Amino acid sequence: MFLKVQLPWNVVIPAENLDAKGLMLQKAIVIRLMDEFATKKATKDLGYFLAVTTLDKVGEGKVRQNTGDVMFPVVFSGITFKLYRGEILEGVVHKVFKHGVLLRCGPVENICRIINICLRRINAFFLNDMPSKIEKDVVVRFIVIGTKWLEADREFQALVSLDGDYLGLIA
Amino acid sequence: MSGEEEENAAELKIGDEFLKAKCLMNCEVSLILEHKYEQLRQTSEDPMNQVSQVFEKSLQYVKRFSRYKNPDAVRQVREILSRYQLAEFELCVLGNLCPETVEEAIAMVPSIKTKGRAHDDEAIEKMLNDLSLIKRFE
Repeated sequence: MFLKVQLPWNVVIPAENLDAKGLMLQKAIVIRLMDEFATKKATKDLGYFLAVTTLDKVGEGKVRQNTGDVMFPVVFSGITFKLYRGEILEGVVHKVFKHGVLLRCGPVENICRIINICLRRINAFFLNDMPSKIEKDVVVRFIVIGTKWLEADREFQALVSLDGDYLGLIA
Repeated sequence: MSGEEEENAAELKIGDEFLKAKCLMNCEVSLILEHKYEQLRQTSEDPMNQVSQVFEKSLQYVKRFSRYKNPDAVRQVREILSRYQLAEFELCVLGNLCPETVEEAIAMVPSIKTKGRAHDDEAIEKMLNDLSLIKRFE
């Protein structure tokens, strides 16, 4: 689910980027924010950081003693992406392997579906009784069973199921 | 696996702060991210280098999975769904998946039936009809 969040943040602008007239301040702050997001990638509570939409409030800048940089407390709005247990979404199969498939949904690549034994695996796709197969690049609708935050990689993994009404292969 | 044992979107248990947060449908995110990408394109020759992997993958995803492309249609979808006393989360799941029947809608968003709210089948059917009208005239 994509979320619009409003967050407080402290943005540090290096001294050399400060324009004498102060007109480029907003732009410099937004650029710094986006850079920090790109490096931070995601947090456990908010999910993946996508983009900054608006800068809602910029506080008074405080000059930092040793470096001469200026720190601005800001409040901004941005978009994040987070998977919730019980949520139903659509995604694309990007890898088929022995025990299941890996799905891609939004920025998340490691969504795993363990296929149960009543499906037969033939070559690189799964068949069941219905005339449809789950192979690479097909779209499936799934429900999220559980999510896991991996602190080291700063990303989420999820386990999903295709069992349920109106779930599975989408034409 | 999940840290919060209570979390379950099917029952709308997703943490108080997120119940009140604004959720966005894929089509709304698509408009926002495309606009951002356009802005970047105007200010640099190689915009793809400037955006993060997360941005790029998300943009691809929302472009592919948006049911409505036209900004007016997107606005109308949000407006129509807002009339039905849905939580933000429920509204967006419906807007993203566009169920065609009442049974499908309840399967996608079970919480619209379980919370003791007045969402009878007729109301849900009317809502789905309104949504499909927008699609037809998009």
